[in-house]
Amino acid sequence: MAPDTPPLFDNLQLLQILPDPLILTDSSSNIVWVNQKAEEIFGISCEEIKGWSFIEIIKINKIDKLLKEALETGEVSDSSYEAATIKVKSHEGKYFFKIVIRPMWNENSIQGALIQLTDVTRFKELEKLKTDFVSIVSHEIRTPLSSITMGVGMLKEGLLGQLTPRGKEMVDAIERDCERLSKLVENLLDLSRIEAGHISLETQWIEVEGLIDEAIRPMKMQAEENNVEIETIISSDLPRIEADFNKIVWVLANLVGNALRYSDSGDKVTVQSKVSGNRIFFSVEDRGCGIPEEYQETIFQKYVQVKGHKGPAGGAGLGLAICKEIVEAHGGQIWVESEEDKGSVFTFTLPLTLREENLED
Amino acid sequence: MEKKVLLVEDEKNIILGVRTCLEAVGYEVHVVEDGEAALRFVRNEKPHLILLDLILPKVDGFEVCYNLKNDEETRDIPVVVLTAKAAEEDRKRAMEQGADAYMTKPFRPQELWDEIKRYLPEGKESQEK
Repeated sequence: MAPDTPPLFDNLQLLQILPDPLILTDSSSNIVWVNQKAEEIFGISCEEIKGWSFIEIIKINKIDKLLKEALETGEVSDSSYEAATIKVKSHEGKYFFKIVIRPMWNENSIQGALIQLTDVTRFKELEKLKTDFVSIVSHEIRTPLSSITMGVGMLKEGLLGQLTPRGKEMVDAIERDCERLSKLVENLLDLSRIEAGHISLETQWIEVEGLIDEAIRPMKMQAEENNVEIETIISSDLPRIEADFNKIVWVLANLVGNALRYSDSGDKVTVQSKVSGNRIFFSVEDRGCGIPEEYQETIFQKYVQVKGHKGPAGGAGLGLAICKEIVEAHGGQIWVESEEDKGSVFTFTLPLTLREENLED
Repeated sequence: MEKKVLLVEDEKNIILGVRTCLEAVGYEVHVVEDGEAALRFVRNEKPHLILLDLILPKVDGFEVCYNLKNDEETRDIPVVVLTAKAAEEDRKRAMEQGADAYMTKPFRPQELWDEIKRYLPEGKESQEK
């Protein structure tokens, strides 16, 4: 039986003309009304489904979960883009929608919720196009890079005759730039894989100390050459954590590598780890030129480079974007605190929601 | 007798690089440029090691590998994949088809020598004996 339409939901005609699907529910998740676009997309009729529970009619668990949360908390659902995007197959084709759920209040009680689906299909298509493009280009760069790397290697080994000192200098320069290109391609590919949703975490229980050691070890020589000290401060009571060892090592190594690049001779880079609440914190601190305030938010986005930066050149602005993806895939967060000419502290957290001892119980 | 290495690759510059690199340390390098020719060559000539690209005309590298590793006469010949395909799923798939090693491009001559030496300890040395 159809419930009476609450007063707040009067005058719904205006919403009919909106191009996005809209669904109204009461406070028990029963459908009160849907607009024309929702009827088309889900193949339903407003009159026939009134009063039915949302999940019975539109069998999408992701929306149902967000709906229940919004009705319980009274707050607008505020999930990340990925968590709030759904794929819908209708007779008209395949759509991607971003879900926003707004609870509707009447004085002090929640009367229901408005489920708004924004069509992001075109955006998704472009995103896929870009990811595929990056993947193809990176792949196409690898092959020529391979013959150059081999050629340079053989020249250096003297397999093709002895080089003059100037020739050797030139070959060394080519080799360094080959490495730079390889690294760039590597990063582009990593990112395109992550964006394509191929970031698969292979988690295991790991010791934090071993993790930090593994990340720092390859950097030690570079640090010594540049006369920079790498200091580690690790609390003695750290629990083992469940994470993807290689990926978190990648994140830490990337942060330490950046810190070294922005350090001057005689500087110190500090790597710290501690537990607070139900999170473990990792931080990497340098005493370099710092990051201007306007970049501190955007620096984790792709291809962002700090303009007019005093530090060394190089890098395509991908490393931190990959760090962010990896940390967030673990359910953690990453941020930077920085002051110009004083240095930067990059910190990331990983949740300790699962404690090993609890699992073994 | 020199150790016979078959390179299955259709990129001219890679062929030049790998050939030069391996001949310099005493391997005998044979080249075929598609998967069908590779299967034929291996069955007739029984090389000591195969360097196999994955993206190949006619029959791709995965299939070449699968066929060789499922044939009693050829299954013991080490197959080292040399590819620009860096995705984990490609590596997994190649290993499932029986590849012995998986190297992604680009690589340095030293890395290639080291990998081959794991299966063919003698290159130049055998020639000198």
